[in-house]
Amino acid sequence: MGIGNVGTSDAALVRRVQAGDTGAYADLVARYRDRLGRYALHMLGNREDAEEVLQDAFVRAYRSLGRCNDPERFGAWLYGILVNRCRTAGARAARRARRFVHDSVALETAPLAAPDRLTEWDDTVRWALARLPPESREAFLLKHVEELEYEDMARLTGAGVSALKMRVKRAREQLQAMLKEVERV
Amino acid sequence: MFDPMDDAIERIARHLRRAVRIDPALDERVMREITVLPAPDRATWVGQMWRWLRRPHHLTLTPLGGLAAVTALAAVMLLSRMDSKPPASREMESRAFQFVLVAPRATHVSLVGDFNDWDATRTPMNRAGNEALWTAVVALEPGRYHYAFFVDGSHWLADPSAPVARDEDYGAPSSVLTVGGGGS
Repeated sequence: MGIGNVGTSDAALVRRVQAGDTGAYADLVARYRDRLGRYALHMLGNREDAEEVLQDAFVRAYRSLGRCNDPERFGAWLYGILVNRCRTAGARAARRARRFVHDSVALETAPLAAPDRLTEWDDTVRWALARLPPESREAFLLKHVEELEYEDMARLTGAGVSALKMRVKRAREQLQAMLKEVERV
Repeated sequence: MFDPMDDAIERIARHLRRAVRIDPALDERVMREITVLPAPDRATWVGQMWRWLRRPHHLTLTPLGGLAAVTALAAVMLLSRMDSKPPASREMESRAFQFVLVAPRATHVSLVGDFNDWDATRTPMNRAGNEALWTAVVALEPGRYHYAFFVDGSHWLADPSAPVARDEDYGAPSSVLTVGGGGS
């Protein structure tokens, strides 16, 4: 995963933390905060949830740091933890939503809400992204926003390369359909 | 060739790639939380061994020591070959399962699932006698598998005759098949 580092390497910081220098972890958090925060924000759709998940991912990574067998690849390892935390948080949010809407079939077959107030491009993008199924959104973000190779995505998500390609393709098709709908309004 | 919709996707991606600024106070919250935690888990001996094995090491060996090592290795290989039995075949553990879908209007159906990486090209289903039935046979080892039918290159269907797995993460329609061990 290509994340530019300046100064002390990730591996050196990880080894310092592993040796008991807890303060060195602050440098790692500062280094990855915004980059990982962007993924969490796009994946979950709101800043509060994204920051909660991000904090949780950093704490979990610290707890497990002794098992980070390849400190040179700390960034990719941390990314994997965040991707999993986002999945869990997304599932939790979906469960919360189901408590209010019990007729899931009606919900799935309902026409898309007319985005008549979506005048800003940013609103349009966030609206469309939020309507993608989580697996498609995850694949689209990892491929087109984080710009990962399919092999790296497979390592992070545990899904096969062909399945990921299919998810990205479906995400693109769904986004295109939604954009057309916005243009019609 | 220029495709305006590809351009739209690229515009979305570019928009989402803009830097996002997360409140730096998050760093403080993380550090506050971890300072009350015990030190990170120490690696288990397996992890330490794995790390040791992956690091380069310099080994100094006399010619006599090298000869002894090679001789010992050859002896171990010879003994293990004499004592070895044929390995249990993985094929022995797997069982054949027939998947069936009734889809009279379909022109092409594939079986996709955890067992073929959800690759629609790997397990095409065949029409059975009455033209409405589509079947495929797959050998599966014990385990739990999610699967679905991919119809005419666009529709995903769960198996109507199997428990539906409404994946909490993703919500895509799929079914679950649990293959038990012990040949039952």
